[in-house]
Amino acid sequence: MSVSLSDRVKAAPDVLFRLVGDEGVLLNLRTQRYLGLNPIGARVWTILEPGATIQAAYDALLQDYEVDPSKLRLDLDLFIGQLVEHELVEDAEHAPDREPR
Amino acid sequence: MTRYRYSVYGIGVASDTPLALPAYTNYCLGDVECVTAPAAASLAELHGAGPDAQARGWYHHASLADGSTYVRWDEIGEFVVAADGRRITFRQLNASSLESFQVYMLGQALSFALVKQCFEPLHATAVVVDGQAVAFLGSNGFGKSSLAACFLEAGHEMLTDDLLFLWPSPEGVLAYPGPPRIKLFRGVARRFLGQAGHRGGMNEDTDKLIVPIGGDRWCSRPVTLKAIYTLAPPRDACRRIDVSVESLSAREVFVELVKGTFNRRLVSRQRLERQFGFVGALTELVPMRKLIYPRVIDRLPEVRTILLADLDRVAGFATAAPAR
Repeated sequence: MSVSLSDRVKAAPDVLFRLVGDEGVLLNLRTQRYLGLNPIGARVWTILEPGATIQAAYDALLQDYEVDPSKLRLDLDLFIGQLVEHELVEDAEHAPDREPR
Repeated sequence: MTRYRYSVYGIGVASDTPLALPAYTNYCLGDVECVTAPAAASLAELHGAGPDAQARGWYHHASLADGSTYVRWDEIGEFVVAADGRRITFRQLNASSLESFQVYMLGQALSFALVKQCFEPLHATAVVVDGQAVAFLGSNGFGKSSLAACFLEAGHEMLTDDLLFLWPSPEGVLAYPGPPRIKLFRGVARRFLGQAGHRGGMNEDTDKLIVPIGGDRWCSRPVTLKAIYTLAPPRDACRRIDVSVESLSAREVFVELVKGTFNRRLVSRQRLERQFGFVGALTELVPMRKLIYPRVIDRLPEVRTILLADLDRVAGFATAAPAR
């Protein structure tokens, strides 16, 4: 999946997140599936969860890690693709407003 | 009428028939009433669960319209657990022994009642070492009870077999005693517990025995939980010649605890949400390590020695970040 840096995604409804140490665990209550996040994944999630742009996550990771920008872009695409595949995020631009969980 | 009162897993149990359980104590966190089903009618027929019950081999399960749950193990017994988890209506089937029937009622069937009462039991066996509980987490056939029997041989007390009930307290996470018995393969029972005591079989499909644990080998009070060891699947350990205790990341601990939930049948949104919070909190409160060892009975004393040495270091092996 290719996403634009200006896109915003946010946590899908019925998704729970918990930071455990510097890693994370997601649970989609609807699909009843868990997904574990490594420290980088957990960092990206905490940035994106409230509806920030993917650019914000990209900028933060570029600042935090010594990483090739093009590689980071690809990895971010891949990660967000996985989140979409597991129905853990939705398009923040078109999602109805909800109270955060 | 429920005339008999007991305590197990931190729950007060009232029953209309005698059960092989300890007497009632005042540290119960919930209550369950066990009631014999009316004669001459199957519970499935009474509750309309028969044709629709999901069958997997000899196990049947159905969610009923009123929120209660029907479960049956062929040749053992059938149960209806009320929606609020406060009543289990039961019928022992003719082919089962009383010991075997009570193992299913006070383990598998009771787990439905516990979850419905918003508790989260784990699939674990626990022994007591230096006054604290040490739990072995794993699925059926992973060797939890055999390892516990090896600890009993060395003079440690048994706390619970197969179902572990945990509850946080100001002193730490408390582990509650289960029924005073352990399910063991014949060879393991003979090797570690000798020949003493009455032993009944579980069912026709397993060689496991139900071995009562005497009062001098059984801990009847809740104790704080010192550590959990999650047992590697036997297939992962069969080629190992060494015994190892490995660290887990907090995320791995979380996943192991979720996998180690006792009852995976009840998956309502409320249950999953509660479980997520409970497991997350437990991840931060209790040290957990992964134990990998060859499943050879003569190697179990060596496993025990390594675990006891590891427990001496347990204060230093925190698995997770401080609570946030």
